[in-house]
Amino acid sequence: MGCSSSLPDRDPKQLGRANLENSGGGHDAKNLRVKLVLLGDSGVGKSCIVLRFVRGQFDPTSKVTVGASFLSQTIALQDSTTVKFEIWDTAGQERYASLAPLYYRGAAVAVVVYDITSPESFNKAQYWVKELQKHGSSDIVMALVGNKADLNEQRKVPVQDGIDYAEKNGMFFIETSAKTADNINELFECHAISDVVSVLGHSLPCYQKTSP
Amino acid sequence: MPSDTSSSTSDHDFDQNPQSIEEQLASVALTLSDGEPSANQETNGVVRELVNQNTQIAPEEQVQCNSVAAEEIGEVRESSNHGVVWGRTISELEMDGPSSPSSSGYAGERGSSSASSESITDDVVEQHEIEQVRNDDTIDGISDSYTPWLPGKRHEDEDDASISWRKRKKHFFVLSNSGKPIYSRYGDEHKLAGFSATLQAIISFVENGGDRVKLLRAGKHQVVFLVKGPIYLVCISCTEEPYESLKGQLELIYGQMLVILTKSVNRCFEKNPKFDMTPLLGGTDIVFSSLIHSFSWNPATFLHAYTCLPLAYATRQAAGAILQDVADSGVLFAILMSRHKVVSLVGAQKASLHPDDMLLLANFVMMSESFSPVCLPRYNPFAFLYAYIHYFDADTYLMLLTTSSDAFYHLKDCRIRIEMVLLKSNVLSEVQRSLLDGGMHIEDLLVNPLTRSGSSPHLGQHRPPTDSSDLLNQPYFGIGGPTGLWHFIYRSIYLDQYVSSEFSAPINTPRQQKRLYRAYQKLFASMHDKGVGPHKTQFRRDESYVILCWVTQDFELYAAFDPLADKASAIKTCNRVCQWVKDVENEIFLLGSSPFSW
Repeated sequence: MGCSSSLPDRDPKQLGRANLENSGGGHDAKNLRVKLVLLGDSGVGKSCIVLRFVRGQFDPTSKVTVGASFLSQTIALQDSTTVKFEIWDTAGQERYASLAPLYYRGAAVAVVVYDITSPESFNKAQYWVKELQKHGSSDIVMALVGNKADLNEQRKVPVQDGIDYAEKNGMFFIETSAKTADNINELFECHAISDVVSVLGHSLPCYQKTSP
Repeated sequence: MPSDTSSSTSDHDFDQNPQSIEEQLASVALTLSDGEPSANQETNGVVRELVNQNTQIAPEEQVQCNSVAAEEIGEVRESSNHGVVWGRTISELEMDGPSSPSSSGYAGERGSSSASSESITDDVVEQHEIEQVRNDDTIDGISDSYTPWLPGKRHEDEDDASISWRKRKKHFFVLSNSGKPIYSRYGDEHKLAGFSATLQAIISFVENGGDRVKLLRAGKHQVVFLVKGPIYLVCISCTEEPYESLKGQLELIYGQMLVILTKSVNRCFEKNPKFDMTPLLGGTDIVFSSLIHSFSWNPATFLHAYTCLPLAYATRQAAGAILQDVADSGVLFAILMSRHKVVSLVGAQKASLHPDDMLLLANFVMMSESFSPVCLPRYNPFAFLYAYIHYFDADTYLMLLTTSSDAFYHLKDCRIRIEMVLLKSNVLSEVQRSLLDGGMHIEDLLVNPLTRSGSSPHLGQHRPPTDSSDLLNQPYFGIGGPTGLWHFIYRSIYLDQYVSSEFSAPINTPRQQKRLYRAYQKLFASMHDKGVGPHKTQFRRDESYVILCWVTQDFELYAAFDPLADKASAIKTCNRVCQWVKDVENEIFLLGSSPFSW
């Protein structure tokens, strides 16, 4: 699927500020921190995406996230700069909807995930996009992710619907499968995130994961 | 040396002469023989529970007590003795016969030929016998073959029309006061709407009469009700656990719900009585199933006390010091735990943590690093706190609780500081070692009873490793033995803590452990029976064990012995256990400034 982008030009400084807000730690040219939050309905596979990215694992019996878990993954750029992703994997349940700002506040990147076999989860994704547009930082970079692409036979949400919605809302779009690892690294290496990184002062990077 | 702290915390009369407890038991025996043929006791080898003539459920309770040891016999008797007893707060009323409206609500009607409780009972007896032959506990996921318990909901495809569903030994339901299902241990909540409505009808029928239904008996089944504002909790069980225990379990389930949602969920029902709470609890099946599982293995669920991981006094002190440091920087509670055992914990000034809250919190936490809103029902049922949780390894985790939702990065920094200190002072490796070694091994008490009290108060150190393995290799060790002590639980009342000996032969399998646990639970309930208790001592013998309970101002001791154990030597052993606990209390308890409110 790859990434498609219709992101308007942004003021690099603003983005930088949003990114570092709340992150507490130091930011120097060599070590960047990117706060990333995953949102989406319960059961769409947010945790699986993160675990695939951070640990290279897939656990079909993985537990439901309660609250929000925090994971980090550092990747090294060619010029020996490191980018540390601080990933908030939020619980998708309704009860935490009102608490979500806690996690997306100050995030540079929001990844909104749905399950391609569940139209409901696609609706929920749209809810999250609106929520972020309303209450999130104005320069947050959003990515729309259709997960469970391995279940193509049970697909209920056409690829085109995802692409259209993402385009309309200035988001990046990608379909992934945490199960087969399809497009997982691409998601984190896709333009959305490299844009964030480049905005922080780097040209388009070539990623190389450090061991977790 | 540790002894100065001990003097402040307890002045147990450990040197109490065995005779005094003997006397108490004798007087108990006198009271007992009062209403019942005493020959029964000895010939059956059953010393009955010290039962009172006027519990709210008196007549049936008597029958049940008689059948403590002889389950099969008891069942036969009960099937001819079925009846429904309504326990009430205001009035007490008994109903006889199968015509109770309630019996049709559960297990009747759809599957079997008639809705009378006769058929229910038959059904149950038959099923129970099958289970006894197979394995008493497979339904709860515990079996002799060490199959590990897996979290999460099972049998989701069932509903109240499924025979398998109706045969489950212990159901838990949560529903709203409009009858909407909220949670069911087995089966899909949404398919149980009709069943929930029936439960709601029973509750509101009694409430309309200005009364409140607490307990309903139908044959071998007990139906226990708990009303918490707009939320109703119901347990339907044929496990023969006492009413008080089942009610306590419902209280914990309600508490777990508050941990996740706070009591402000009540407002949703005020706005909309038909409010559907299931989406709010979405994904929490795993939390409730693990809590319910803990009802069959974790004594904290009925002791209302917590337990510590055995550690050298200095090690625990080192952990406590760094936690205290952090607590002074705006953290409300800092708790370091390994599995369900506390390594150390501190609270900010005046903040106190209830053992039940700790149990529910520990049950709720998950792997890795997280930051989640949680409510501590005994601390403030209306407000969320924010819990930073970090696992140092698969077993050991830190919980930092604060009132500030912005505190993640601060707490993360605190954790890094704590982690550094813990690593430097080897606390984490000591914790791992203690997990492997365990705490109090019965074998140690039996090895050198005389030398212990004087010189060597350190757990593990006085025990050359060869000793225990030699003893374990002896085929009948633990079964015969000079005293036949199998296991004990000691609860310190002032500390809100308990210590439980490690399981060893012959209580080896999860199934046996669960049975012993249930026996303790039953005795705990009878010792604390408000109607007649609290009792001071109880010596009960059945075909599985002798259990001796001893409750004083300072402690409660529950000790299980070989069923052939001699009473006098059992009492002597109990005194030795108490002395032993006293000797090692620096290592098995968290002493000093406890954040628990006494």
